[in-house]
Amino acid sequence: MIKSIKNKILTPHNYFDDVFEKLLEKYPNGEDPWGLNLEKAKKSIEYIWPLYKNYFRVRVFGQENVQDQPYMVIANHSGQIAIDGMLICTAFAMEIDPPRILRAMVERFFTALPFVGTWGAEGGSVLGDRQNCLKLLNKGESVLAFPEGVRGVAKSTSEYYKLQRFTRGFYRMALTAQVDILPVAVVGAEEVFPWVYQAKGVAKKMGLPALPLSPLYFPLPSPIDIYIGKPIKFESDLSPESSDSQIDIHVDAVEREIQRMVNEGLEKRRNFFANVKR
Amino acid sequence: MSEKKTNILIIGIAGGLAKILAGLLVKNKNYEITGVDPRSIKEDIKHENITYKQMRFTRGNFERLFRDKEFDVVFHLARMSHSNTNPKASLAQRLDLNLMGTKRIMDLSLKFGVKKLVILSTYHVYGALSDNPVFIDEDSPLKASIKYPELRDVVEMDQISTNWLWKNKDNINTVVLRPCSIIGPQIKNTMTQYLTSPYVPICMDFNPMFQFIHEFDMAKILERSIDELPTGIYNVAPDETVSIKKAKQILNTPTVPVPSLFLESTAWLLSNSLWQFPKYLIDYIKYSSIIDNTLLKAHLGHEDLFQYSTAETLELSSL
Repeated sequence: MIKSIKNKILTPHNYFDDVFEKLLEKYPNGEDPWGLNLEKAKKSIEYIWPLYKNYFRVRVFGQENVQDQPYMVIANHSGQIAIDGMLICTAFAMEIDPPRILRAMVERFFTALPFVGTWGAEGGSVLGDRQNCLKLLNKGESVLAFPEGVRGVAKSTSEYYKLQRFTRGFYRMALTAQVDILPVAVVGAEEVFPWVYQAKGVAKKMGLPALPLSPLYFPLPSPIDIYIGKPIKFESDLSPESSDSQIDIHVDAVEREIQRMVNEGLEKRRNFFANVKR
Repeated sequence: MSEKKTNILIIGIAGGLAKILAGLLVKNKNYEITGVDPRSIKEDIKHENITYKQMRFTRGNFERLFRDKEFDVVFHLARMSHSNTNPKASLAQRLDLNLMGTKRIMDLSLKFGVKKLVILSTYHVYGALSDNPVFIDEDSPLKASIKYPELRDVVEMDQISTNWLWKNKDNINTVVLRPCSIIGPQIKNTMTQYLTSPYVPICMDFNPMFQFIHEFDMAKILERSIDELPTGIYNVAPDETVSIKKAKQILNTPTVPVPSLFLESTAWLLSNSLWQFPKYLIDYIKYSSIIDNTLLKAHLGHEDLFQYSTAETLELSSL
């Protein structure tokens, strides 16, 4: 086991080849209608991997909870620039067998960005639209969503690791497609930018989505842990059109579970000079 | 057999797709085909079952044709496209031909008891926007003219046809087809020209996905729509998709990568000489517009619907 992990780190190139050979079986054209491009995705991961392994020193826990089936992957959002999405996707492609391309749901403005939008799409991200989400789940793909949205990313230091209220959309999608929810907690990504004050009033006046004020704008090498929880079965008594109050009970349960995983993760995390929350 | 032959009118017979369709239809001895076009017609297909007439749709002799021939089936393939016209001067012209012409064709068809009317629209009506979902279905809003009013004629022609279609559904069976990019050696639309010409500018910061249908497959679907498609609107596209850069690779045509920021100005600079690509179509080579073919497949089946794969379609179009 240790030897195989060592091999992965020492000879990542061969390992990338293995992973993408397996992925090629799933996407024989190397492309898909949402703009995924395996060749480009592989190149991106080859660049991200050293950052993932050596800069953020990512550890993944709970791989055994992931079965070979589609999931609605739900995670807490953090770190001002949504670096967590990239790391979770890398983890699911490289550290879980069989490898999978997680389809991250992104904001509307993202797909219109030059270079970045296409880079994201080629790596598997898709516009966070209900139609896209359902089609992907029905095709057997796993979707990654952050129900906190931008509110989760744009937090001041005092709010770190406090989950913002989840929106309900993801649960209705999971009900419609009848897939299980896979809770994921990311610990450590908040401290990539450890001291931040969100000037919400000014941002609103200026028409910006967020205005983070910080003494430093360079991402710090905060060690990051990704915890994959046990799948949460979708409630078969509910229909996708059940009332908000019925849905909310289950959305809250998912939120609480992820908050619990975050809190547990905080206890076990590695030392870092800039850890602002314990 | 003294059975009455099926009279078919193909409007826009000078176009590449119409010619292929005529070629398919003449094989059926029961079909009597008339081809009309305001443009000059090269009579490529000579056959006893087909007659050609050059005329404008707004004139009286067009109505006379309907009265005399008592058509059973009418194909409206004469939507004026954007490629061979001067984009600046032609919006009024396109609106006139596409709206007035279509309205007149529909009204005459109804008046003279046509049983089936097939109107060719385009996937352009949905628009190419950065927040398009993948697999746009027939009920989606037509957003093409939001950003570029020059595309108004395309959207409005589709809208008057589809409104008319439901209003008159008890009297005439009308089918509106919205195909993806039709490409092939006989078709001279903007997309085929863009794909097959070397050294055209390509967006370096975007790589949209496309669906391509071979001209022959499209003509086949037009032919089958006579008997097999009930009144309604249908997207026409294969399941396969391909990114624009990969398509260019398959075609093996060299490109000039340009940042999207300068693409419009490049198009404008080259518009009179080297690269005739209308400014308002640039979004279509920047953002994806992928359409859903579920409804079409429900009626025409999955097998043999598309004989050519995307790669074959692309390779054949460069011949």
